[in-house]
Amino acid sequence: MEARRRDVLKLTAIAALPACARSPLVVPDSPNVKKEIAMQTRPLMTLRLDTAPTQNLGSGPHGNRVTFPITGGTFEGERLHGKVMPGGFDWTTTRADGVLELDLRITLETDDGALIQMTFSGIRDDKAEGGPYFRTLPRFETAAPKYAFLNRLLAVGRGEIRADGPVHILEEVV
Amino acid sequence: MDSRLLTTLSVTLGPPQKLGQGPLGTRVIVPITGGHFEGPRLSGRVVGGGDWTLLRADGVLELDLRVTLETDDGALIHMASFGLRHGPPDVIAALGRGETVDPATYYFRTTPRFDTGHEKYGFLNRLLAVAIGDRRKEGPVYSIYELL
Repeated sequence: MEARRRDVLKLTAIAALPACARSPLVVPDSPNVKKEIAMQTRPLMTLRLDTAPTQNLGSGPHGNRVTFPITGGTFEGERLHGKVMPGGFDWTTTRADGVLELDLRITLETDDGALIQMTFSGIRDDKAEGGPYFRTLPRFETAAPKYAFLNRLLAVGRGEIRADGPVHILEEVV
Repeated sequence: MDSRLLTTLSVTLGPPQKLGQGPLGTRVIVPITGGHFEGPRLSGRVVGGGDWTLLRADGVLELDLRVTLETDDGALIHMASFGLRHGPPDVIAALGRGETVDPATYYFRTTPRFDTGHEKYGFLNRLLAVAIGDRRKEGPVYSIYELL
């Protein structure tokens, strides 16, 4: 096993936890008192995407553009699950510094028939010092009352490229 | 997801520009006149910027902030963040009156992205972050966490 920088960072973050006030915040006595809560997340879904052959546009002013048509997929989570509708895309751009920018738009259909628009921006840095860094910032929009909670949250995602396609582990920022 | 504190940013606000209700919601543009940020790897002052806010029909306030940061050692950094703020009506009303409110009683989260040409701070170009906001009377304070 390689000793990866990111693992060291994780340990540092865990070690620092007791120093952060994770219990509900109290109103500070003085505006100068700095109270911090650690960022907390909880599972939202695991999203698997099926992609068609890419559209390779070549180098433009923002970098090398490769567009991934998304033909389907699934999402699984305790609060929502279903399938990815065909017709979405991920518009990717490799920047001058080698980092890949992602810009995805897809429509999700839950098993009980609700449609949810999902977008994310993200970055994938395969040459990051501590190992590949692939993170996204998903957002959702829906008219279905049952899933309206998605309109009111921010989320973070960790991406992986597996043999059968990209997989994104999405978590709600609580 | 694992994260670690990157910096804590406090901004000062100018008089809000109230544009009224447009097709997407009620738009209020809040100039950012200054501020400072402090953290293990990132400290300095806020040069200026603004927050283009939009109150949606469902009561959620969308935030769209852009500021220029200047580090203590002179690097300029562009920060842009999208965010959401919402909570129980009485809490939001208290915030509107400029009262100090426990930030755990409402949702105020943003997703900052950074962009700089300064080599020392190039790591900021290559990370995503989440901020936890605390709307104090004298201006918002954001605890910004790098996603690990």
